[in-house]
Amino acid sequence: MIFEQLMGNIVQGLILGAVYGMATMGLSLIFGVLKVVNVGHGAFIMVGAFITLFFFNTLGLNPLLAIPVAFAVGLAIGLLFYHTAIKRLLNAPELATLLATFSAGVLLEESIKLIFGSEFRGYNWDIGNIDLGFTALPVSKLYACLGSVLIALLLYIWFNRTRAGTAMRSVVEDSEGARVCGVNVQGAYAMSFAIGIGLTVASGVLLTMFIPVGINPYMGGGYTLKAFVIAVLGGLASPYGAFFGGLVFGFIENTSYTLFALLPGVEPFALTRFLSFMILLIILLIRPTGIIKAK
Amino acid sequence: MNSKLKKYYPLLPVCVAYLILFLVGRNVTGIWQLVSTLLFYCALGQAFNIFLGMTGYVDFGYVAFLGVGTYGMATAVTGLAGYEGLGVGVIVIGFALAVIMATLLSMAVGAVALRLRGAYFAIATIGVNEGFRYLIEGANLWNGSSGMIFTAELNQILGRDLAGRVMTFWADILVLIIGVAAAVVTLLYMNSKIGYALTALREDEDAAKVMGIHVTKFKIIAFITSASFAGMVGAASWALKTPYVFPPEVFEIHYTIEAIIIVMLGGAGTLMGPLVGALIYGVSKYYLSIFLPGFQLFIFALVIIVIIVLFPEGVVGVLKGKTRNNRLKQLIL
Repeated sequence: MIFEQLMGNIVQGLILGAVYGMATMGLSLIFGVLKVVNVGHGAFIMVGAFITLFFFNTLGLNPLLAIPVAFAVGLAIGLLFYHTAIKRLLNAPELATLLATFSAGVLLEESIKLIFGSEFRGYNWDIGNIDLGFTALPVSKLYACLGSVLIALLLYIWFNRTRAGTAMRSVVEDSEGARVCGVNVQGAYAMSFAIGIGLTVASGVLLTMFIPVGINPYMGGGYTLKAFVIAVLGGLASPYGAFFGGLVFGFIENTSYTLFALLPGVEPFALTRFLSFMILLIILLIRPTGIIKAK
Repeated sequence: MNSKLKKYYPLLPVCVAYLILFLVGRNVTGIWQLVSTLLFYCALGQAFNIFLGMTGYVDFGYVAFLGVGTYGMATAVTGLAGYEGLGVGVIVIGFALAVIMATLLSMAVGAVALRLRGAYFAIATIGVNEGFRYLIEGANLWNGSSGMIFTAELNQILGRDLAGRVMTFWADILVLIIGVAAAVVTLLYMNSKIGYALTALREDEDAAKVMGIHVTKFKIIAFITSASFAGMVGAASWALKTPYVFPPEVFEIHYTIEAIIIVMLGGAGTLMGPLVGALIYGVSKYYLSIFLPGFQLFIFALVIIVIIVLFPEGVVGVLKGKTRNNRLKQLIL
């Protein structure tokens, strides 16, 4: 009985973890290339969630179709934000980009609130379950997981097999050297910021499959915190590290929730969120460069 | 003698501003509510500035210190309500407890976060308020998510009349005193070795280290000072003014956002900045809530981005540049 429950947790946790991982790749990409921490990360995820809501509830379309649209919207927001603010702040003290991304997050939250209102919403995309014997797996979550893995693979291929991706990696290694070799460093910065935001907004689409009624303009804060835990697990600057960090984190979150639920007199949901914060502090204390070594 | 006194001239505009605020609040009917909000913003900004302004580090979990301060006062009031004859002493104990709890939390957070640089520091602090809130809710500390309501206890300790006066008037005066005290401490720091060390580390932490400055020590001093003032603000402005505390309310990141807006608007690292920022923010928020309800944060988020990109030194920073060559110079810091 407890074994079955635990098996169920591992599977559910890994599936959620893959989506978490993908939702953090944008954060790591932006930090890796520009050394900018996107403190408003969660707000961009929220935008993706609202795009999905619009696709499903208003247009009546398949939520998966929202992924490319969300990515495109993210690219546009990213480019706009990069050229109006981030570009001018790259040489300023770190405080400037932290506050700018933070304010951008607040700006997005408030804009969405003004358009859609601040009540919780959701949608119901019921396309059946797969029965694994020990746990029932909704097909929509499976799609979200597969989508995440696919996007992570595409990013990998783009990084390693295309000219633009190679140029971007060279900027990470040595921006001066890249400039000397004729790489458009400013362009690479703009592109990686835009792609990072695009990935983040697109991940918002996938995350909605796990939160049936949890969509709200202020839902992002929790995801910002989770994304930081995951990013730090994976070493902060590596998108692939982030992906594996997500798998680990999804597993920890799901398992600890089940274990906390066994304790009397506590609220397992709140304690799980406290635990994720403690994990963050502990990793930062012992190894700020990340636990998982990913290339 | 004279030059020694000169160091304290910049306190003059600060005190004048507070005096005007107080007199306006007392003499114009129906405006005390606004004045009390402004006093809260002034104290919040002044306390936040001690850390953000002087070190250049952003603490995104700052509201947690206000939250634990509120819990400190709540604990004192509910715990000591049974003892006869303590009276106002309970409030003093409450403030002491608020400071102690905020200091302890800041030491715990600082022990991890202050060893980290810029970006990593921000990441370590961004969850402090959420983390602490979920610890209280999850482990059912202080009644967990149902919170504490202690109006009855406050009435019992102070008597109904005095308790009423505390909620409507004296709590605000206490916030005013805390704000002035934070300004005085800021100036004392600026004029001492602490201030010079913090300026050095804000401009270039590696260089400061090489020059033999114990950067972590000074960061901790600023962090703890800033946190204990926040604890007092929480105790006065939240626990005494409205004698109840609910975890989601006192750990709401919204207040960190407001503190950032206030300090950046006025000018980070200046003495007058938080005051100027608080007055601009408070008054414009008040009028925005009348004429454009719901748009306040939207507008201020835009304003902050514009400020960071175009004039990161804030209003007082710009003023400082303008008065560099005239006699007003010594008044503006």
